[in-house]
Amino acid sequence: MTLTTFKLNLGPQHPSTHGVLRLLLELDGEKILSCEPDVGYLHRGMEKMAEKLSYIQYLPLVDRIDYLAGFFYSELLCRIVEKALNVELSDKVRVIRVILLELNRIASHLLWIGAFLMDLGATSPFFYAFREREMILNYFEKLTGQRMMYNYFVFGGVRKDIEFLEDIQNIISILPQKLNDYEKIITENPIFKRRCINKGVLEKNVALDYSITGVNLRASGVDFDLRKNDYLYKGFDFSSVVLEGKDAWSRYKARILEIKESIKIISQALDYLSKNEKLEQKLINPINLKLDNGEYYQEIEAPRGIASCYVKSVGEDKPYRLKWRTGSYYSVNLLRKLLVGEYLNDAIAIAGSLDIILPEVDK
Amino acid sequence: MFVGIKSTFEGLITVFKHLFKRAVTLEYPEKKRALNDSFRGKLEVNGCIGCGVCLKVCPTGAISYQKDGNAKVCNYKIDLKKCIFCGNCYYYCPTGAIKITKDYELASENKEDLILKYEGECRND
Repeated sequence: MTLTTFKLNLGPQHPSTHGVLRLLLELDGEKILSCEPDVGYLHRGMEKMAEKLSYIQYLPLVDRIDYLAGFFYSELLCRIVEKALNVELSDKVRVIRVILLELNRIASHLLWIGAFLMDLGATSPFFYAFREREMILNYFEKLTGQRMMYNYFVFGGVRKDIEFLEDIQNIISILPQKLNDYEKIITENPIFKRRCINKGVLEKNVALDYSITGVNLRASGVDFDLRKNDYLYKGFDFSSVVLEGKDAWSRYKARILEIKESIKIISQALDYLSKNEKLEQKLINPINLKLDNGEYYQEIEAPRGIASCYVKSVGEDKPYRLKWRTGSYYSVNLLRKLLVGEYLNDAIAIAGSLDIILPEVDK
Repeated sequence: MFVGIKSTFEGLITVFKHLFKRAVTLEYPEKKRALNDSFRGKLEVNGCIGCGVCLKVCPTGAISYQKDGNAKVCNYKIDLKKCIFCGNCYYYCPTGAIKITKDYELASENKEDLILKYEGECRND
């Protein structure tokens, strides 16, 4: 640090840091010379807690790892247990899970669109995005009993058969029209474009070096989507959104396109459910459930990149060790690289475009 | 430049269209949302046989009970300060003694009000 530079704390309570992220920036005027992310303000000990709780006691808590996409984490824990006990899911359970995961992905991306635009100073899209997200959350509440902490997936299946399919139909018929509305306000807006195009350019090799996954990686031109190989998504026809822009604008566009792909998946799933098959599932009795000695690993494509869970069991009714891998954690680390040389105003746009969510980072 | 002007104009039209729509929020507490049947609020217990499953599935240890001289369950307590409304006890109760209600308002002036007591006091006669 020389006499001409100074240090600035961005956060932990700054409105555009999405939770409680502290960025220690070294500035020369408005230019960022270095960035040091400081995480841990939302640490709840999710991994340590698992060592003291049985699997079924831990299941409701994992929704809280990323409260915007809770289904993905309960899906992971359920899949670990199902894998360990060699339980195959029936087609209907698979489809129900896919519908809920994709709806959850849409809700998460919608919130991101609102919050990102809010960071850039546009207030109206925030309310529009929340209004549409509200429809999805209302549906979740109707089905599972709560809006964000669902506790709906259980080991070997789902808590109860899916209901209120007309609500889902309603959501996916309204959403494309609303997405057009957003695009009218946002996509070609000259102010938005000037703040996003060529800002926070993430090169392919940098993204791979920093273990970036999910939409951020695909917006840098790497076609890598775990859903393509996931047996949960077997039989669904969809394409993974890959854009070559590498900047904040293409990350925005990729999320809009990904919502459209999710709508496609959901409508295929609804077609399947219209056959009215009976729900068949082999539920695992969770009381005194013990996993065999060994290590178990499962990964899944969450809205913010690959989420995975590692469990080491020593044959007890609790995990011996449990570890989560979450997409945002790596995105926060990327800020060290992406923000250097940019201006302070652009820091907000760049950090926002990576879709960082702090509970997921701190766990 | 033309695209810029056009898109700004289009955006403004979309925003102004919304100006004349009804508000979607309600003024709590005068008006409240209608709740669904599956809504998970406070718990209610009646007819517990003391099998202990709820203690095994509760993630936070919010539930406690005792048994009196006749092995009857008494002093069943649910600590709302600890309860996270996950509904595990309700889902796994084998006799259906635990029920979820739609009551979600927890604010109280007295800490003791947040401990729900069911199944009566213990008697050792």
